[in-house]
Amino acid sequence: MKKRLLAALLTGVMVVTMAAGCSSNNKESGGNSAGGSDTVTLKVFSNLPDRKTGQGLVEQMIIDEYMKENENVTIEVEALDEEAYKTKFKAYSMEGMPDVVSIWGQPAFLDEVVDAGVLAELNQEDYTDYKFIEGSLNGFTYDDKLYGLPRNTDVACIYYNQKMFEDNKWEIPKDYNELLSLAEKINAKGVIPMAMDGGDGWPMAIYLTDILFQLTGTESADIISKAISEGDFTDENLVKATELLKESADAKLFQKGYDSQDYGTAMNLFTNGQAAMFYTGSWEASMALNEDIPEEVRENIRVFTMPAVDGGKAAATDITAWNGGGYGVSAKSEVKDEAVKFLNYMYQPDKLSKYGWENGVGMSAQDQSEYMTGEETDLMKQIVDIVNHATSVSGTPINDCGPSVFKTSIESEIQSVSNGSTSVQDFLDTIGSACK
Amino acid sequence: MKMAGQRSKKITKFLLWAILIFVAVIQIFPLIWLLDFSLANSTEMFTSGLLVIPEKIQWGNYVKAFVDGHFLLYLKNSVLINGLAVLLVILVSIMAAFACRRMRWKLSMFVKTLLLMGMMIPIHATLLPNYKIYNMLGLTDTIWALLIPYVAFSLPQGLFLMTSFMESVPVELEEAAVMDGCGIYRIIFQIIMPMLKSSIATVAIMTFLNNWNEFIMASTYLSSPKWKTLPFSVLEFTGQYSSNYAVQFAVMALTAAPAVIVYVILNKHITKGVAMGAVKG
Amino acid sequence: MKKLYSNKLVILSLVLPGLLLFVFAILAPICLSVYYGFTDYSGMGSYSVTGFENYRELMHDTAFWTSLRNSLFLAIGFICIQHPLAIVVAAVLDKLGGRGENFFRCVYFIPNVISVAVIAYLWKFIYNPDFGLLNNIIKAFGGKGDVNWFSTDTAIWAVLIVLIWHGFGWGMLIYYTGIKNIDQVLYEAAAIDGADQKTTFFRITLPLMKPVIQVNVTMAVISALKQMETVYLLTNGGPGNSTQFAANYLYQQAFKAFRYGYGNAIGVVFIVICLAATVILNKVFEDRDERKVRRLSGRREEKAA
Repeated sequence: MKKRLLAALLTGVMVVTMAAGCSSNNKESGGNSAGGSDTVTLKVFSNLPDRKTGQGLVEQMIIDEYMKENENVTIEVEALDEEAYKTKFKAYSMEGMPDVVSIWGQPAFLDEVVDAGVLAELNQEDYTDYKFIEGSLNGFTYDDKLYGLPRNTDVACIYYNQKMFEDNKWEIPKDYNELLSLAEKINAKGVIPMAMDGGDGWPMAIYLTDILFQLTGTESADIISKAISEGDFTDENLVKATELLKESADAKLFQKGYDSQDYGTAMNLFTNGQAAMFYTGSWEASMALNEDIPEEVRENIRVFTMPAVDGGKAAATDITAWNGGGYGVSAKSEVKDEAVKFLNYMYQPDKLSKYGWENGVGMSAQDQSEYMTGEETDLMKQIVDIVNHATSVSGTPINDCGPSVFKTSIESEIQSVSNGSTSVQDFLDTIGSACK
Repeated sequence: MKMAGQRSKKITKFLLWAILIFVAVIQIFPLIWLLDFSLANSTEMFTSGLLVIPEKIQWGNYVKAFVDGHFLLYLKNSVLINGLAVLLVILVSIMAAFACRRMRWKLSMFVKTLLLMGMMIPIHATLLPNYKIYNMLGLTDTIWALLIPYVAFSLPQGLFLMTSFMESVPVELEEAAVMDGCGIYRIIFQIIMPMLKSSIATVAIMTFLNNWNEFIMASTYLSSPKWKTLPFSVLEFTGQYSSNYAVQFAVMALTAAPAVIVYVILNKHITKGVAMGAVKG
Repeated sequence: MKKLYSNKLVILSLVLPGLLLFVFAILAPICLSVYYGFTDYSGMGSYSVTGFENYRELMHDTAFWTSLRNSLFLAIGFICIQHPLAIVVAAVLDKLGGRGENFFRCVYFIPNVISVAVIAYLWKFIYNPDFGLLNNIIKAFGGKGDVNWFSTDTAIWAVLIVLIWHGFGWGMLIYYTGIKNIDQVLYEAAAIDGADQKTTFFRITLPLMKPVIQVNVTMAVISALKQMETVYLLTNGGPGNSTQFAANYLYQQAFKAFRYGYGNAIGVVFIVICLAATVILNKVFEDRDERKVRRLSGRREEKAA
């Protein structure tokens, strides 16, 4: 009896799988015959998996519009979150890159990729009317050739919960020591001072860059590039910045277990009122419009930037900002013309830039002043203010300034140094030797 | 004396139950927790209680999980790919087992050892070179990219189990069949195969359990949703709904459900199959 | 009959699918790995053959050694924690009888059929220091409940617990079957001799389960070596490299650090270690059995003499 049941089951499975196999085959051939010869399928590979809010929504809106206007074009999107995206991107760059891809105009990401000829060169003259902010294309330019376009101007931000601050009479710290003593006060209330995505490594590397920039001002970029090219991180400012990071972790500025928690967890601590502050970039300004976030928090999100560090050279209005994320086109794409056409479509000033503005996703890399309506969220206005009043800008975060090996190394070692399992000296030695 | 004996017997019985229930709670409670919060509101997660009674049961979480998680498509893919892998493993392993076990040729031992070697090779070590190979042959993002390694790495176990089970099939049956003029293929598929029904079930279950979990290869070799398997519902959701925990819980519960339901219904057969396979192998 | 059974063409047709699969999916990739392991290939563009450079570097790569140490830790954890628990629970379950026996066996096995992706994410939430289940349980019992389960020192334990929880049903089931296969007559004889439960367990159950235990121990070591999926999603090797495993590490090196050649070198060493571990374990168990057989037969001969 039992045997018969199992046999029946097996045959069942067989029939089902075969039927399914056949039907899927039919679909395939059906699809091929239905499509005429001039249909084009564009593959877009994106680092924005959330297609319903923020930047992902903007991207999807433009894709939908493009497909409507060009009926022969089908756009297939594959979207993964940042870490998974970068891993898969590298796998793709070995062979067979999708047609339009998210890229970062930073050495750690782009150097090797451009060297290997994975990305198509773009025609710079196409973009003279696109109102790109001056210097924003630099990260994407190699030997005067343009390989991609920037999407955002990213600013390192400390978001905070204004209501929580007011209720407890906490004040926005004016210098780093105040930040640390604020952390103590917040902890005393049983609230997490600052939510930090330490599991991924890159937010902490930005944090380190932020501190370093406050310490050294405009020299920071030179210090970083010198350290990376020589593989020598013994510069006293680097030592001091790392020590400050460790001190902050020791002072319980970040949540417990920050070094193993991912981006979503850190963000949720903040958006659910468990943490008073959240360290990330301006791209999260759309939090103020995200319906998934409880109203009480959503409407009280405000922002400040890294406070001054004792003896630091940077002014209060110097900010850590860079043009990071953007898009490029695969060099080997079979539909390269269509891909470039779509890319240019996205970057028409009234697309990415305008929609991004309307959906509160922070600053684009293009001039957005004409879209200002005065009805933006307070958070957006604050960020615009910060950028408009910036006296100097840091440039690319440290982890993205060197080769991939360096990036991998610093992003994993920074966890160990902040939680105290390796010494500052060992940390700097290890990331130094990764550059050689 | 008699009383005391009965009492101590009762105590032992009680202890037995206590231990077993304790272990059962450990094994099951996390899943109950999962179910509970999948029906709650995202903000209700942040309680210090063990379970919550949701203010309003949020069935919407499951609707989102079902639709945005591509649940049906991925389930179909998972069942299809795993089903085909099982079929192929059974077919190929029976054929090879028969050839190595029953037929007479010089290299039979060598071939058998060679094929069994696969059991010792870690599947993930082939990830990098296979990526290169599949790209070269244009197999990435097709069903073959999963089917080939799944079958290849389940084959050794299948072969091992089939050869040891085949020993219990009496040779006399085959001899009679040969007398009747049967060819080898007919012997295998019409005489041996029906006799091995329960072993086939074992191999099927083991193969299925082995591959049902796999996602590293799938996430490396696949890019479009066309062949993505069930774990992707979960993997993709953490990005899509990063700010909504309850929906993430719902998608986890939903993805776990098919396997658990099938297991609970067929648990006797599956346990028997696993036990048979594991004790032999 | 004989002719039929040694028909070369038929034999070839029977083993060819298996052989092709082996060559295409296992042998060819390994050969390719060996080749790329000798290069400084980044994964794209040009590269040069660097001989044993990758292997030399690997010898001094602390992350790699950590990953091997972690595998050893897991194996020991399985053998010393999971398996004794599984044997005891299996023995207890065997005593229960009736419907309860089936029920518990079913319940224990349920985590095993759930996909690793779900398990890993679920446990990430369970371990969360701020609202996770574990800390809430501690709070419920009056503790402070603010343990950071994934700190550098404890993360590997956290991984071990998840794996033990996930695989418990499997181990239990196998021991349970092993116990059921023991001849009841032995227990009856022991009962007549007046042996209590403890003695029967240690004198009869355990010794007779030896082959099952051996199989399970081998499986434990191998699965500890091959660990990847759970760790990849749970900690991705962090904090630092404290929960790194060979498979995860080679993946990171190839697809994150653009060191495809180095990743392949790790893969080759990884394969060699797995082969060696299996062979050694088989030898150890085989030898002991054979020695015993020899000793027993030796004694018999002595007596006969």
